Amino acid sequence: MKILHKHKQENGSLWHNLYSFSSIMPIATAFLIILIFQIINPAFLSSQGRVTLVYSMSYFLIVACGLTLVIMMGSFDFSVVSVMKLSALICVLYIGRFGYWVIPLSLAISMFFGFINGVLFAKLRIPSFMATLGISVVLDGISLLISRGFLHIMNDQLFRSLSVTFFAGLPTIFYWAIAFWFISTFLALATPFGRRIYAIGGNAKAAALSGINIDRYRIIVFIISGFMSGLAGILYIAQLGGASSEMGEQLMIPLFASVVAGGTALKGGVGGPHRTLIGVVIITWIQAGVLMMGAGRGLQVALMGAIAIVMTLATVDRRDASNRIVK
Amino acid sequence: MKLKQTLSTIAAFIIDLVRKNPVIIILVALFLLFSILYSEQFISPINLTATLRQFVTLMLFATGPSIIMIIGSLDLSFVGIWMLGSTLLWVLMPYLGLVSILVIPLLGVTTGFILGIIHTKGKIPSFILTLSVLVTYWGVTSMLTKGHPNVVRGFSFITARLIPRIPTPFILSIPIIAVAVFIVTKTKFGTYLCAIGSNEEGARLAGIPVDWYKIIAFTVSGAFSGVGSMILFQHLGGSTPVVFNMNDLVRPLVAIILGGTPMVGGSGGPQRTILGVITFSILYRGLYLSPLIPQVIDLVVGIVLIIAIVLGSRSIQLKGVDIK
Repeated sequence: MKILHKHKQENGSLWHNLYSFSSIMPIATAFLIILIFQIINPAFLSSQGRVTLVYSMSYFLIVACGLTLVIMMGSFDFSVVSVMKLSALICVLYIGRFGYWVIPLSLAISMFFGFINGVLFAKLRIPSFMATLGISVVLDGISLLISRGFLHIMNDQLFRSLSVTFFAGLPTIFYWAIAFWFISTFLALATPFGRRIYAIGGNAKAAALSGINIDRYRIIVFIISGFMSGLAGILYIAQLGGASSEMGEQLMIPLFASVVAGGTALKGGVGGPHRTLIGVVIITWIQAGVLMMGAGRGLQVALMGAIAIVMTLATVDRRDASNRIVK
Repeated sequence: MKLKQTLSTIAAFIIDLVRKNPVIIILVALFLLFSILYSEQFISPINLTATLRQFVTLMLFATGPSIIMIIGSLDLSFVGIWMLGSTLLWVLMPYLGLVSILVIPLLGVTTGFILGIIHTKGKIPSFILTLSVLVTYWGVTSMLTKGHPNVVRGFSFITARLIPRIPTPFILSIPIIAVAVFIVTKTKFGTYLCAIGSNEEGARLAGIPVDWYKIIAFTVSGAFSGVGSMILFQHLGGSTPVVFNMNDLVRPLVAIILGGTPMVGGSGGPQRTILGVITFSILYRGLYLSPLIPQVIDLVVGIVLIIAIVLGSRSIQLKGVDIK
């Protein structure tokens, strides 16, 4: 990260100023949004409002961290929502048969599909967006097949306590989310692994020439993304207490928007999970605020699409010469 | 002697056609397979009509995006144009009457033009841009309709039967497809699109105003999606769509890729998509006649998509393009 910083500085002080500007912007936006919604609806930061916000933020943050690692690498994972849904459904459907072994089972299945994504992308040279789109269609098919379209209720109280036990006024799912946010931040910023992901995102060809086995890293990152989505699915079903194949249908664009809102550019090589926290705060709090104001689901969805476009526009570096060809 | 020569010419033509469009082999194989498996139902007039209806739906959705696929980008906004266009038609119908159907192509052209400008000037990858626009339109649709399907009356002439067994939307879609194929194969514009798709930097250096042609390409794609949606609106029920169905988005993409337009661009277009759509329609009808339950059919479609993408990405491996 430091190396990147230095590199940007050499490009001129103006760019450096902009760079720090773009890292302060998300934080300022987050505060502004909280302030606006607090004024509009004073219940926004009450203890009940706070728990609602934390519930809507936590599973979202875990998925977003996985997605951030992929976007940081310059790729895209469309299947995170489908993986999350499948893992939640596996938990609720098979907990009677396998007991608590469903947790490792659904994590393993999620990682397996992450692995397939990675292989399709890295080895078979399919653009990651298309590969993960295909996998997500297959996963949705499997979800529909095993759930038969019904809503299934999770009755196991011990399993549910994974997410809904309260510590210091906040549910456990919040601490899970913060823990995994911290782990992925550590992975991205403080390990050689993370630095190589940044390198691949910045310039895959140069990374390959400098001896990084990019195929292997790409596959590993997709496996991590699958793992995080699967984990989010498990915690989400423990929080919600029931799942159907229609769960999480409108999640992909808000997830993407929260990653770019934090400052991780779609091109790769900049940003990271540490910034996604702010992005998730912005996006989920806008969503929750819009709902608390009593506006419908439609406005929320439309707003998310518009925010995704604006945020992507804001994170694109138009002066970068390697950015001239965008498909 | 002459007969032999003619035969060999025809054989050479067919071999050439199959080599250029390998999907024909799959098409013929599927057709034979299903004809043998369900001989009575598959080659029946009812199934023919149903296959044509499926063909119209997919082809009108896929025409615009297959033009965009030539330049190596993706246009996913077509479902959004169909959804929001139908809803705007419902909103405007009491005020403007039958003229209000023109709002759908107008929306298509405007969307395409704006998408083109944001994509080229803002340097946003097209897939996420068009996906965001699709989601925005979907949100606006559910805001306007409040989640209820609203029937719009007065356009039943679009689906009124003219020729027995042949759905009228199919007849109406022929000129649209013909224009799309003409634009891509016979005009300077089509050639430039292929040039941009195969080597954008090269096209720029050769003096082609790349950005300008990309904007036109998106506008044309939006126009085709809009004009197609005018027919699809009545063809798919004649009411405002309220639920966004992933299948509407994915199946046209499967058809385009099956048809043989490579994802990195440079060749292909609507003329190949026709073959892909026919193949997919036959596959879908065959699966529909089989004892499989609908959920399994969805699964099979997903697997077909992946196989089609894997086969279609051979050109990426050959070209050595850096993929994201």
